[in-house]
Amino acid sequence: MFKKTTKAIFSAILATPIALMALADDKVTITVWSMDGHDLGNEDTHRQVIAAFEAEHPNIKIDLTLLPESGLEDRMNTAIGAGGKLPDVFPLLSGEWAPIALDLSPYIEADPELSQDMYAEPFWRTRATFGDSVVALPTGIGANVVLYNKDVFDKAGVEYPTADWTTEDFIKKAVAVTDKANGVWGGDRPRDAYRAIWHNYDAQVYSDDSTTVEGYHNSPQSLAAYQWYWDLVHSDATPTKAEIDVLGTEGTGPVDLFIAGRLGMATLNQSHMLRALKEGVNFGMVPEPAGPSKDRHANAWSATPAIAGNSEHPQEAYEFLSFWAGMEGQYISMTTGLNMFPSIPALWKDHPYIDHPAIQTFRTTLDWPLVRDFDGTHLCWRAALRRVDEVYELIGLKAIERNEIKKALDKEVVVLQTALDDCVSRLGS
Amino acid sequence: MKFMGKKSKRERTQAIEGYVALSPWMFGFLFFYAIPILASLYLSFTQWTLVGSVKWIGFENYIRMFTRDPVFIDAATATGFFVLYSLPFKLVLGLMLALLLNMKLPGMNYFRTIFFLPAVISGVAVSLMWIWFLQPDTGVVNTLLRYVGISGPGWFWDINWALPSVAMMSIWKVGGAAIIYLAGLQNIPAHLYEAAAIDGASKWQQFWRITLPLLTPVLLFQLIIEMIDAFKIFTEAFVITQGGPLNRTYFFLYYFYEEAFRNFNMGYASALAIFLLIVIMSATALVKWWSNRWVYYEN
Repeated sequence: MFKKTTKAIFSAILATPIALMALADDKVTITVWSMDGHDLGNEDTHRQVIAAFEAEHPNIKIDLTLLPESGLEDRMNTAIGAGGKLPDVFPLLSGEWAPIALDLSPYIEADPELSQDMYAEPFWRTRATFGDSVVALPTGIGANVVLYNKDVFDKAGVEYPTADWTTEDFIKKAVAVTDKANGVWGGDRPRDAYRAIWHNYDAQVYSDDSTTVEGYHNSPQSLAAYQWYWDLVHSDATPTKAEIDVLGTEGTGPVDLFIAGRLGMATLNQSHMLRALKEGVNFGMVPEPAGPSKDRHANAWSATPAIAGNSEHPQEAYEFLSFWAGMEGQYISMTTGLNMFPSIPALWKDHPYIDHPAIQTFRTTLDWPLVRDFDGTHLCWRAALRRVDEVYELIGLKAIERNEIKKALDKEVVVLQTALDDCVSRLGS
Repeated sequence: MKFMGKKSKRERTQAIEGYVALSPWMFGFLFFYAIPILASLYLSFTQWTLVGSVKWIGFENYIRMFTRDPVFIDAATATGFFVLYSLPFKLVLGLMLALLLNMKLPGMNYFRTIFFLPAVISGVAVSLMWIWFLQPDTGVVNTLLRYVGISGPGWFWDINWALPSVAMMSIWKVGGAAIIYLAGLQNIPAHLYEAAAIDGASKWQQFWRITLPLLTPVLLFQLIIEMIDAFKIFTEAFVITQGGPLNRTYFFLYYFYEEAFRNFNMGYASALAIFLLIVIMSATALVKWWSNRWVYYEN
């Protein structure tokens, strides 16, 4: 009897993991790497999207790992370089990763609930495609806008900026609002050259075919943009790099300084705007100032998760991705946590803050040409960036006179051309 | 009785036991050092963007390094000057600190602990702390300088002071070296000082004739270790300066990190890494050769 009981117990112990394994085999686990924030939603939003997805797809389990942006980049690069296992779904942070992403075209064609037309065209154009392939789906979108603190402006007796303001207006208002004695700066500086304001001067770092720097980086348009930047730095109405490094918010615009009332104007994005709204800051919002160009440009982007080309479960990964980036997932992201702004225009009317004037301003910028139209199609821009920063940096350090900028740009052309030629040979034009 | 050259069973067993005991280190060395270095050497002759295939290009990366890359010159200059600025100070100050810590005074153990702490704090935490210390307008250092009527420089944000600032941070961690010197000092036999005192030697003569010569093996060790560490400086550039301003702190390690992981230029980054390896090995060999002239070994 004892032997029989012992046998039965042992059999049950041995059979249980086998049974569990059998059950587990029915469930597919999809690994997802993502970031907290960055237009993908905070952790709570991620969990709500996953919970909703898993409720509809009981045979698919999502294994989520949230990483900071730099950590995710390094981890992905290491995994790619080592030929190791990539996550099934990951944010397509770098254009250089596009070749390893799965082409979603056949999946989208077979999907009755998702189509390209659902999405805001600029973000599909600049973020979702790579050559003839669709490599990612846009989710939350963002754009740079200028927030201004109405209390700071009222105290200084300065009129608020208007939507049609110019780069010269920006400097004048920044100077007028600055109150150094009370630690208030009028505005902030562009974080790099060749962002929206440079494009508003029709400035471009090299030719569209990625062959020529001469006549672009040192063009009259580029010179005008750099001279504007020189005027801004020498107005002493903006915090220096030293001040921003200590007092600014890491990895994004100086939102903490703005909310603390120490910046009259700050170039931030709509998620910062929502944060300012929730913290009760009395603010207004205008697009980035216009330049001489007939077009105004927006520095806008979309978070774009993709599927690894070597995913063992591409169909299940697509089911999650299409849920996350589709109507249901983006509705959850829009109505929870950081209230992400969806890339699907049909959902915009349901955004909790859609009637706020600032959101209306944000929406108008989405119709403009994007900085990404150049940056996203010219992978070598990053390789050339390091070399470009010399004149931008010299101006920021007040180490160059205004009338020396042209000569410095001419001198830099040679260095940039060498870097561009080298990069094109590796990454293509 | 055994034949000449033929080991006994016991000797063979002992040899096998020795190799087995060594094997964890050997595997570690092989898989974490030797193979990666050989892989880097191979990659240095290729062009590889991580996502594409590896393409053999021969010496092209090395030719580019020495003839067409201005950033290479910046990185080599920044690293070279950093080694020259920081190394002599760290050696001399480390020794001076050790001499102080060797004094027989009450509470000396607490001082030894305090001075050693900077060496064990995370490099990132130290970097963030120093950003606050050296902020030109609100930082502690410039505020104190203003109290005595001195207008402090821009430190990390000043073209001329960025590199010395990073060197200063490195020198601040001298406590770790001091502890090594302290161990060396405490190994010097006391009877030598007693004999010297009886013969009328002054403190300076005792230091110059007894302490320093007998400490030279430790000095050599510290020189080599600190020099290698100085060549490998990275955290400060990564956390604080991002190589600026104007590439003044664009150290070599940071340069090939950017080439590899920001510019997806793994082949060229490997060539830079191999170059640095050769430089460090050459410098170490040079120091070792030079040490024959000044290092004193008791035996």
